[in-house]
Amino acid sequence: MRQLRLLLTLRLLTAVWAAKLAGVAIRALGRQGTHTPGLIARKLYPGIIGAVQHPAQVVVVTGTNGKTTVSNLLTEALLGEGLRVASNRIGSNLAAGIATTLIGAVTWTGKSRADIAVLEMDERSAKLVLPDLLPDVLVCMNLTRDSIKRNAHPAYIAWILSSAIPASTTLVLNADDLIASSLGAESNPRLYFSVDRLPTDENSPRGAAVDVAICPVCDHALDWDYWRFNHIGKVYCPACGFRAPDAGYRARDVDVASGRLTLELDGESRSAHLINDSIVNIYNEVAVAAVLDRLAIPRDRIVAAFEHLAPPTTRFALEVIGAVELVRILTKGLVGVACSRAFEYLSGFVGRKAIVLNIDEVSERVTEVENTAWTYDADYEYLAGDSLAQVVVGGVRRYDQALRLAIAGVDPARILTVESEVAGADRVDLDGIDDVFNLHSVHNAVITGTPVQKRLRERLEERK
Amino acid sequence: MSRVLTIEMLFPEVANLHGDNFNITYLGQCRPDARIVRTRLTETPAFVTGAVDLVYLGPLTEHGQLKAIERLLPHKDRIEALIEAGTTFLFTHNALEVLGARIRNDEMDYDVAGVGVFELESTLRMFGRYNGKVMGTVPTVDAAHPVLGYKSQFSMVTAPESLPGFLTADRGIGRNTTTAVEGVRRGNFIGTSLIGPLLVVNPHFTRALLAQLDPDSEPTLAHESFALNAYEARLADFHDNRRWHPFERVQHESKQPNHP
Repeated sequence: MRQLRLLLTLRLLTAVWAAKLAGVAIRALGRQGTHTPGLIARKLYPGIIGAVQHPAQVVVVTGTNGKTTVSNLLTEALLGEGLRVASNRIGSNLAAGIATTLIGAVTWTGKSRADIAVLEMDERSAKLVLPDLLPDVLVCMNLTRDSIKRNAHPAYIAWILSSAIPASTTLVLNADDLIASSLGAESNPRLYFSVDRLPTDENSPRGAAVDVAICPVCDHALDWDYWRFNHIGKVYCPACGFRAPDAGYRARDVDVASGRLTLELDGESRSAHLINDSIVNIYNEVAVAAVLDRLAIPRDRIVAAFEHLAPPTTRFALEVIGAVELVRILTKGLVGVACSRAFEYLSGFVGRKAIVLNIDEVSERVTEVENTAWTYDADYEYLAGDSLAQVVVGGVRRYDQALRLAIAGVDPARILTVESEVAGADRVDLDGIDDVFNLHSVHNAVITGTPVQKRLRERLEERK
Repeated sequence: MSRVLTIEMLFPEVANLHGDNFNITYLGQCRPDARIVRTRLTETPAFVTGAVDLVYLGPLTEHGQLKAIERLLPHKDRIEALIEAGTTFLFTHNALEVLGARIRNDEMDYDVAGVGVFELESTLRMFGRYNGKVMGTVPTVDAAHPVLGYKSQFSMVTAPESLPGFLTADRGIGRNTTTAVEGVRRGNFIGTSLIGPLLVVNPHFTRALLAQLDPDSEPTLAHESFALNAYEARLADFHDNRRWHPFERVQHESKQPNHP
């Protein structure tokens, strides 16, 4: 028995050393090496995520939207507490990336040198990660529609997660998302976060991707105390009395002008700095507060942390040139829900608008034919209206995009199709325009988004 | 002289995945005079008590499939009678499986009987989602304009060869990886796993469907030029051999591929 244990320890250390050496070699080549070391370690020791020594506490952050930001904010806050934090915030969120992070947090003799791990996890990796990792806390920000080809639908992702969540893990869940808030088993300790009704909320849902519509108890149509987007909001069943869970951690009285909000922390109200006024980041802030409270960080220090924490703001940029606002928005193609949020944001601009739209995915362009079904999961309807003077659509799937816009109610006379993605920047009519939008996807950000932005900027400068 | 078409969407609150309900949105824009009835899970379908020109059911979650079976099972005889009488049905993606004999899902631990209108059996592999393209001709449209569509599904379907398909795939797979026969066509019933949405990405097929629904009026396509241009661009891509992966071919039983 002792010999077997010794063999296992040697095998574990071999995997740790191999991963560490691989990391050193990869970094010497100028790359980050956040995935391959873990991949090697998992080949040598498939159970390494469970076998390697963990920090005293392990927090996993998952969900469709916000997991990267929340992982970053949590890591920053805990570092601010003087803790040694193991985090995969600059690397892979798959099983291999998590293995890399855990191995990076132990010494060459396998001893943990971190106080806490904050691990962002891709939802689909749950089965490979959670049963061995046995996290103390798992945060799920939300589960909304993602890639049709990869993620199918939110209930599928919820099933994957629930199948893998250990019974002992404390769940920190979004009470405004009935799919995410239903994760886990009855045995899991759980706490909920939410954002109270906002002035922009509505009383009933609309749009293509509403995944909560019927009561899980009696199938009757649900009603909404407030509806925010997709299936996010607070539901109840008028027939049987079912209600979404009440949250102990809530954001309320959001005041954008003063940059403040009130955080309800399990019965105690605290005024805090609003880290960002987008709804997604309000959820991120209250979720971070809930986790820090669960980790027994003093509440004064939780609130104080928000004074200097800031989410990354890489998804949009606004510059004013003359009298015109030039707005660049990363609009993640293949994910209808993400596009809906970009379109909704754009619709909030009250001036006369022109859009250069290039949101096909390069990744599907060369050896594939992009499955454009995702465009019908996106609410292009936000773009319809008199304030839209013109939309110029470029790229391989431009006619699909034009058709989608027309079906959404955009006047076909205001839709211009051009073969080249970049040429839209020259073809868009800027006369009388207050806001010009450059919408591009992830993989064409550099080849399309950047040159379009440059050309639009030049044209606007010339008109000053 | 056109007449008012009645289109019934079954359970749109749960049968709404993959943007496929835009099949009916688009059809409604082609026929703005159409009456679209949206029947909730807890309501009795309109086709049970009255005349409906088209009955539509779209993609469901796995749980949603079971709910739809539960709600449609009491109306099995009526569905069969309507199919026999020539009523048009369009069931897309996994909605067709609801009318089959059996749905088996080992990973989610159930094996249930379907409504039983067709001799179909569906097997779901929750960690083996199939993604691919399909191109094939249908009898209602000339061969120069094949139906194009996409598969993105957990299920593979088996059925007797005697059950006619919606189409036979020239490229891509059919009901499963070993056959080119895709979906089901019986009378004016069409069941297909193809998404796109089907009626949006196939204007020639949609025109034929409109003519079938109302033979006395000239079918008109909404946003016709965009629709036709999008179809032609997609057709050119589908004819490009470089864009077809090996797993998108019909396989011999003995060497089925692992789906990416």
